[in-house]
Amino acid sequence: MRSVTGLCALLTLTPLLTGCFVSSGSGTSDGSARLRVALAVPPAQALSPFSNDATVLSKLSVAEGLTALNAEGAAAPALATSWSRKDATTWSFELRKATFHDGTEVTAESVVAALGHAAAAKVKPRVLSDVTLTAKADDADTVMISTTNPDPVLPLRLASPALGILAAKAYAQDGTVSPVGTGTGAFKISKLNGKSSATLDRFDGYWGGRAKLAGVDVTWVADGTARANALRSGEADVAEWIPTSQAELLAGDTRHDVPSVRTDSLVLNTGDGIFADATLRAAARAAVDSSAVVGPVFGGYADAAKGLFGPAVGWAADKRVAVTGRADAATDVKAKTAGRTLRLATYTNRAELPEVATVLQQQLEKAGFTVQQDVREYTQMEADLLAGRYDALVFSRVTLLDTGDAVAFLASDFTSTGVYNIARLKDAKVDQAIAAAAQESDTALRQQKIMQAEAEILRTDAVVPLVHEKAVQGISTRVENVALDPRERTLITAATHLR
Amino acid sequence: MSAVGRVVAGAGLLAAVALLPWLSGSDPALAVLRARSADQDPTPEQLAAVREELGLDQGPLPHLVHWLGGLPRGDAGVSWVSGAPVLPEVMTAFAVSATLMLGALVVTVVVAALVCARTVRLGGRLRLRQERSGAVAAFLAALPKFLLASLLATVFAVWLGWFPSSGWEGPSSMVLPALALGVPSGAVIGGLLDQSLPAVFTEQWVRFWHACGFPPSHIARHGLRAAVAGVLPQLLPTVVALVGGAVAVEKIFNIPGLGRLALDAAVARDLPPLQTATLVLVLLGVVAGVAVGAVRRRLLGPALRDGALPALNPPAPRPHRFVRRVGGTCVLVLLALVVAGLARDPLHVDTAARLAAPSIAHPLGTDALGRDLLARLGHGALRTTALALAVTVVSVLIGLLLGMTGRAGAGLTEVTSTLPAVLAGLLTTAVTGPSVWGAACAVCLVAWTPYAVQAAALFEQERATEHVRVSKSMGAGPVHLMRRSLLPAVLPAVVRNAVLRLPTTVLVLASLGFLGLGEQPPTPEWGRLLSENQPYLELAPWTVLAPAGALVLLSVVAVSGTTRTE
Repeated sequence: MRSVTGLCALLTLTPLLTGCFVSSGSGTSDGSARLRVALAVPPAQALSPFSNDATVLSKLSVAEGLTALNAEGAAAPALATSWSRKDATTWSFELRKATFHDGTEVTAESVVAALGHAAAAKVKPRVLSDVTLTAKADDADTVMISTTNPDPVLPLRLASPALGILAAKAYAQDGTVSPVGTGTGAFKISKLNGKSSATLDRFDGYWGGRAKLAGVDVTWVADGTARANALRSGEADVAEWIPTSQAELLAGDTRHDVPSVRTDSLVLNTGDGIFADATLRAAARAAVDSSAVVGPVFGGYADAAKGLFGPAVGWAADKRVAVTGRADAATDVKAKTAGRTLRLATYTNRAELPEVATVLQQQLEKAGFTVQQDVREYTQMEADLLAGRYDALVFSRVTLLDTGDAVAFLASDFTSTGVYNIARLKDAKVDQAIAAAAQESDTALRQQKIMQAEAEILRTDAVVPLVHEKAVQGISTRVENVALDPRERTLITAATHLR
Repeated sequence: MSAVGRVVAGAGLLAAVALLPWLSGSDPALAVLRARSADQDPTPEQLAAVREELGLDQGPLPHLVHWLGGLPRGDAGVSWVSGAPVLPEVMTAFAVSATLMLGALVVTVVVAALVCARTVRLGGRLRLRQERSGAVAAFLAALPKFLLASLLATVFAVWLGWFPSSGWEGPSSMVLPALALGVPSGAVIGGLLDQSLPAVFTEQWVRFWHACGFPPSHIARHGLRAAVAGVLPQLLPTVVALVGGAVAVEKIFNIPGLGRLALDAAVARDLPPLQTATLVLVLLGVVAGVAVGAVRRRLLGPALRDGALPALNPPAPRPHRFVRRVGGTCVLVLLALVVAGLARDPLHVDTAARLAAPSIAHPLGTDALGRDLLARLGHGALRTTALALAVTVVSVLIGLLLGMTGRAGAGLTEVTSTLPAVLAGLLTTAVTGPSVWGAACAVCLVAWTPYAVQAAALFEQERATEHVRVSKSMGAGPVHLMRRSLLPAVLPAVVRNAVLRLPTTVLVLASLGFLGLGEQPPTPEWGRLLSENQPYLELAPWTVLAPAGALVLLSVVAVSGTTRTE
């Protein structure tokens, strides 16, 4: 049988191809403990801090900025020990003694160079989109940073993972940035294996003291079920972002939930279509009962929304302003919509959203709307969303962006000039309220004004907040001191260790 | 002739892919920006920066020329998203996928052998008297690969811990994904083989050899050899196509394969890796096509060239009572399900009854939103089967037409057979926009290849039979030959193939949903029922058992139905 001979020939090729397996370095030469972590979002740009991958660098304690955010969301010392505002546009930062993973010292010059590269990047990191900053070395360990316009949140801004300080050799001529062996954090990246895995080793020269773990083996597992499986089968010690459909399958003591700064809401298109009518928006708001999705869709891993900002934004609840002056809900929805269909959009990237949309469809239909869903992958519909081709969108949004400050989110999503204004809201009072918050430099007053802006936005019914999501992190019982951070910026720290 | 066909088809496909970022009407810069940074504000300045950086304003032609110019130097450009060189990345992914495909091939051969083992054994002993039911092959062929993958991962990785649940770190990582991919493929190939074997074993030489005292194993081997020649080309669209078309299984097992790479690149409008991956798939299709053709010709030997093949006229065996019973029972069960389901509300969300186990109120249980599964199955039945049947009929027609063209169409077939349906989906959404018809068109664009390779092989074999030669010498025209000799010999086998692939068609149609192609939720549709309930496989097995069972029933009904008509 020649076919059998051919098959045998093919089979003998198989061992030759086993060189094609992707081996992740699992060197436990010194016998001390290494942690296996399954992360969700594979690197888009080889872990460049100017891309989506920036958060990975801070999550794994690889790179640090001048500042960091503490539990309350205020700026805390990192590579800078202290800072002061010299005048409206100039700040001075005192650096600590620290060493890069490649052995070079962290100096004012290296910080200036790093910030300069971020500001000069062809496609600017998001955190710098609304500000232009210039850094100057004052002396060996003092950096002066000035902005063209007064920026009251500069210390918060510098905590952004996108502004992590890397050694000079990280920045290549062609504009690419590599954090491999160039950070300052407790762990250094020894090897990056494309989009599959990375090997991190303890950095003995860390200014904050040696990490307890010998190293971290990172694998990227995009599928949520696969991440849960990896944790359950013992192939990973930590698996981030377990989807709610899998959370119930994890053993109770490995399941840790943390309020996230992500709020899911129903965004209504105020520009045209049926929701240009404020009374119909009010009717939609009245029809929606978000408590019906908290249990069934999110399995309890969410809080029914009280506003745009949830429990993860600690100060929001106390400062919340009551919403007044809303339009009255239309009494006869059928007559008002006049046979027009409500085009309800959502996307598949977050597994829960299509389910939420289906629940909302039933609620809206009960109130008299005729609903037609359109569900696709996000990039397949973003252009249509921004062009206002839908009446409503079930939207999941991070409310504290890179700056850790809520104003950036409000400004891009709800001001009349906002670039991410899917609600197409053009409301002078909203614009005013957001502008007022943006100009305030006193933290408490700024928070107060943010909540006033929230009330103004909710008054228009352009957005109906549904739930504040909780992130479920799967952590094996062997592991201690994993940081559960609502902003998803820290996870593995120098204090993390295996039992 | 066939070389020209290959070059034209390959060039056409690459040109279409090169147009993709500009075709869809949406801004490629936006998709690239999104892939780099999910929360980035799409400001006009940022988009302009991306456009300038990548030279998107120049349009497709300069990019294509630049990319082609680099290929001889081994430079396939850099990724628009990551900025990393494309070729090493694509070749690593290809090596991974090719290894996985070889594993799946082994499983396919074993499963196919098991499926037709009984027929071969009986055939060699001349005791093949009763019709084959084909129910086992139909059952296995109807198992959705992604469901099988989830099930295997849960049972053998999470519960038993025998194999790794994900990753690609050694031969043990290969076992579960190869099984998930190979079992349904093996069932299709085994089913086809099983069906063509009886015709071989009723040829004259079998009785002659038997009378001469040749051992049964010897007869069986030679019978198998003749039947394998007709089925062998199926490996191309069934197994070799897994290199680019195993996205769902690659996701579940977190395998860094070519399918995922191509999909991610296509979604991000990242042209260089997408182009390179397409080129690799095209070359693979051509090489595999040529190799399979060569093996097939060697199996058939000089008889093919000399026109001395026996006509494979299937005998008319006694109908098997078992077949009738299985088919009849499945029809009844399916009808009962549909009728019972149609009387219920498939859209009513009852969050209090979330994932309820089967009960009197909900005979098949409920899904994660508390919707009645029986109702969703019943309401989805007609829509699902009608669309899948329509797509299958069109695909079979295209396949037959291209199969008739012989070597001229071979290039197009080889080039298309390794093309993932998702790529066809992206190309069609650009033209048709998101709709049910868009999904149907996309699947029709690629789903004809199994029928084309099969028809081409069978036409060639049939043309080389003695009776066709005799008919020609007696003055039979091409139309007469086609109607009286060729089609009657080819059609039943192609129909059988189509029927075995019906469940796959349902699933492929549903797999394009994320592009907005196909029925929009919450409309019940079987493929969607399976994919939307897949995460609940372990928590509430009934949510996937019901639609998977319905698909198996449909498959068995279709197979036993066509068995009767043959």
